[in-house]
Amino acid sequence: MTTPTIELNGLEVQLGGRTILHGITGVLKSRAIGLLGPNGAGKSTLINTLLGFHVPNKGSARVLGLDSHTSGKALRSLVGYMPENDAFISKMSGVRFVRYMAEISGLPSEQAMERAHEAFVYVGLGEARYRPVGTYSLGMKQLAKLAQAIAHGPKVLILDEPTNGMDPPARKRLIELIREIREASDICLLLSSHLLRDVEETCDEVLILRNGQIASICNLVEERQANRKFLELETIGAEASFTSALESIGCECAVFTSGRIKVVMPDRVEIREVFKVAADRGVQIRRMNHRRDSLEDIFLNAMEQTGAPDGRL
Amino acid sequence: MAVYKRRYNSYTGSLTPTWSRFFVLTRFAFADLFKSRFFVLLLILCIIPCLFSAGFIFVANNKTLQLLMQLRPDMDFFQIESQYFIIMLTVQTQAAFLLNCWVGPVLISGDLTNGALPLFLSRPFSRADYVLGKLAVLGLLLSAVTWIPCLLLFSLQAGLARDGWIWSHLWMVVPIMLCSAIWILMLSLISLAVSAWVKLRIVATGIIFVTFFIPAGLGEMFNAIMGTYWGGLLNFSSLFRQILIRSFRAESIMGAFTRGNDIPIVMAWTMLVLVCIFALFVLNVRLRAREVVRG
Repeated sequence: MTTPTIELNGLEVQLGGRTILHGITGVLKSRAIGLLGPNGAGKSTLINTLLGFHVPNKGSARVLGLDSHTSGKALRSLVGYMPENDAFISKMSGVRFVRYMAEISGLPSEQAMERAHEAFVYVGLGEARYRPVGTYSLGMKQLAKLAQAIAHGPKVLILDEPTNGMDPPARKRLIELIREIREASDICLLLSSHLLRDVEETCDEVLILRNGQIASICNLVEERQANRKFLELETIGAEASFTSALESIGCECAVFTSGRIKVVMPDRVEIREVFKVAADRGVQIRRMNHRRDSLEDIFLNAMEQTGAPDGRL
Repeated sequence: MAVYKRRYNSYTGSLTPTWSRFFVLTRFAFADLFKSRFFVLLLILCIIPCLFSAGFIFVANNKTLQLLMQLRPDMDFFQIESQYFIIMLTVQTQAAFLLNCWVGPVLISGDLTNGALPLFLSRPFSRADYVLGKLAVLGLLLSAVTWIPCLLLFSLQAGLARDGWIWSHLWMVVPIMLCSAIWILMLSLISLAVSAWVKLRIVATGIIFVTFFIPAGLGEMFNAIMGTYWGGLLNFSSLFRQILIRSFRAESIMGAFTRGNDIPIVMAWTMLVLVCIFALFVLNVRLRAREVVRG
């Protein structure tokens, strides 16, 4: 049996007299885990607790079998952390900054220097590596933070809002890098982001938090393999008879306003059968969108189930 | 992650021992310090009194030279005794104070300004390691201008003097090291604590000066008003001088330096240790990976 990547056992964390995480319990086994939730859900607190920055009041959190509190140092020796906020030494050149961090992680001086150069070239900042980090743009600072997180070759990479402040091409490049890192080694990834697309593109499993509680744990790989096909239709005509005819051939239908219908199709039903039913009932299909369940649906579902007012981030 | 391959590889090489990693901070801080010409100049200036002092020891032990310089060899002035080392240490600890005021304020503030502390603490590196690394910078630097030159001068004198001078004066090694240690520790911790709170060097330097001079003034006022000597507990330099003179058993010779300050030696030590503990407390409050806002 493999060790779970993250194991939470009744984890409760109080900060400043307020309970932020309310005894959360869950096991996440995938190599790439996404952390989602509205503002104030407890994502950053969970990351900080995993890093040993906060001491749990009750319960425990384990990463690769190591307790975040009792085995903090051993755990942190496996971790590369890219924080959400600014985190750099402004007067140091980029490469020296990364080398410094790598040496603190335990790399001998020469190897640290070599890896710092490699990390900088790898994240695409090779040309800017001798400039002071303070002069970098926001996107470059994000990349420098990624470079310092990977330079010492960690086993677990924790990325807190990695694409914050990046323009679309830079974001795309960063997401590609993260995927590349994930695929090129046996590194485990924990990515916290407000952007569902970032998580969807890089993670296999998602932990959705809301008000310090787990709203959902969802294995995206299984979901992608098992989820059903959806048709989003905009129709004009006899809605009721159309939906009942679709249900008679095995579809599930949800009717919305203005002739919008969401149809869940079983695997045996083909789309042309939907057209046939529509033709038979004299219903015009004005728009059809064929898609599978997305992370957005999973997220919104999780928010609705736990009573979120509008499910928005 | 070889550059030519442009792909990620994990690191599988050897690692440095955990206990030695605090020294990375010290090494990087020294590299930064020695880039500054002003710092190098200040360091040289701090060592110059020791060079003059070495010359003095040479002259004091060379009768021919004294005669050539038309000096009377039997003058008390040329005796290298505890008084000499007290003066040397007093001068050098003041030089250490100036050096500390220049170096100390930037040691931690540079890391805190742009939130780099979580990067240190997300590694197998504790807050104690961090403080130790920064403390070592000041510890080594201030040692280089206090007890190390004093011990070198002691060795020089021991080498030049005759009649078993070294054996009758060997006990002086202990006060030289002990007094330097408490002064270095107190200065370093105060400036690290200030550096952890104040980002601007000039303001931090000002606060370090204020820490030493304002309480001393308040203490004197307290003494004058209340007709007591306990206000002297706020005068850290005076407490140190008192410890220095009593450690060298030179109360009879140099009592004038501590006149009016009858604070028991134990209280003087306790006060300096309390200052160190308070500075550590301040560091403990400030050096956190994440700040928690109460309420």
